[in-house]
Amino acid sequence: MKAIMALWNTLKRPPVHISLGIIIIASFAAGIIFWGGFNTAMEYTNTEQFCVSCHEMENNVYQELQTTVHWQNRSGVRAICSDCHVPHNWTDKMARKMQASKEVWGKIFGTINTREKFEAKRLEMAQREWDRFKANGSLECRNCHDYNSMDWAKMSDEARRMMAPAAERNQSCMDCHKGIAHHLPAQMGSEDPLMAAFAQEANATRLAAGNAYFTAKPVQLFTDPGLTQPAGTLAMATEVTVADLEGDSVQLEIAAWRKEKGFGRVLYEDFGQNIVSAILERDIAQQDSAFAYHEKKEDELTGLPWAEVSVKLWAQSGAYIPRPDAMWQSADQTYRDACSVCHAEPDPEHFSANSWPAMFAGMVGFTNLGQNTQDLVLKYLQKHSSDYVQGSH
Amino acid sequence: MHHQENSKLRESNMEQSEHHPEVPTAKQEWLSFLFVTVILMPFLAVAVVGGYGFTVWMLQVFVLGPPGTGS
Repeated sequence: MKAIMALWNTLKRPPVHISLGIIIIASFAAGIIFWGGFNTAMEYTNTEQFCVSCHEMENNVYQELQTTVHWQNRSGVRAICSDCHVPHNWTDKMARKMQASKEVWGKIFGTINTREKFEAKRLEMAQREWDRFKANGSLECRNCHDYNSMDWAKMSDEARRMMAPAAERNQSCMDCHKGIAHHLPAQMGSEDPLMAAFAQEANATRLAAGNAYFTAKPVQLFTDPGLTQPAGTLAMATEVTVADLEGDSVQLEIAAWRKEKGFGRVLYEDFGQNIVSAILERDIAQQDSAFAYHEKKEDELTGLPWAEVSVKLWAQSGAYIPRPDAMWQSADQTYRDACSVCHAEPDPEHFSANSWPAMFAGMVGFTNLGQNTQDLVLKYLQKHSSDYVQGSH
Repeated sequence: MHHQENSKLRESNMEQSEHHPEVPTAKQEWLSFLFVTVILMPFLAVAVVGGYGFTVWMLQVFVLGPPGTGS
């Protein structure tokens, strides 16, 4: 306390013994040293060596980077961690450096200090970065890659077909180029991070008999609870009811319509609708006793007889979620992102459910959606098509 | 205010401190200068900039969302 009083006493008045010149010059020098030190610290914490000093980074994402074009390529121009992950703008950079306290916490408390823990959090971490890139239009990519400097003549035909429209719309690179530097989250064998989130939710969902659920991924069907006799495949985002549970297996009741001509292998969502719920093996499809019949109707458009049926088949549990809303929302967002590159995407209700498959098949080649994502988006479009939306033309 | 006659020599620090006990010594001034320049100001600067960064980070998490294209 006495020292503080003495300090204040000295500071509150003009100096008696030290010349003004000394004070000015010394302060200037001190300021320069501080600013240099501050910037050195900023630059040091941006080096690859610093980032990789945590084994969590060195053993996981750093290894993955070394298999990509951002590590080694024809021209030898490469990116280090901070090129993509640290903003250049000073305010945003300061915010990011403070955000790093979360990473220090993780290091101390071992949040991702094993391979398994890292993989479990991969999707969450990846999604955070994708959200960041979405918000700033992949600004960090543009530190090096500039649409205006792209030489279209030097690109492959396929590259130009994708990139030129993207350039015209100044599209965010990450809309298409996820996984360019590190592995995509690969939970549940899913190639698509979008699907991985639903697969994770499905894994955590407790099934109760009598309740309705939606498939979060395509599911193999079997006639027996031991899952040894294949019966077909259940499409994703299909509604089912749980009839019985046995160990890791669940008996699903699938309510659908099918054509009563031919083998009757395809189960459709609704009368006259080409929305696929499931595709069955021939022997089970032809086993009339397996099906409970309800209504029968003839489709005037084709002259084909349809029947409303339900069938109970066994499948692995852990692939079903209680409500489809999140899936439709993701599908909608994916549709908007992927299908607005070259033209304004049509509203889902612009076409009927039976028109969408052909439309979709013709256009999906211009995107880079994984198969499951494609299935989900198509089903989303069909279920929100003009047949399902009131007041559409 | 303390006036001096022209013919008087300037008081030494010791004499000054007899009249005005609060006048700091040279040692005190140097220590104060070094303390503020080398310890206090750097610490404050880091605290202020760090606090600014932290505030912006919290705003980005709860209010503003991730930063946009502003460069």
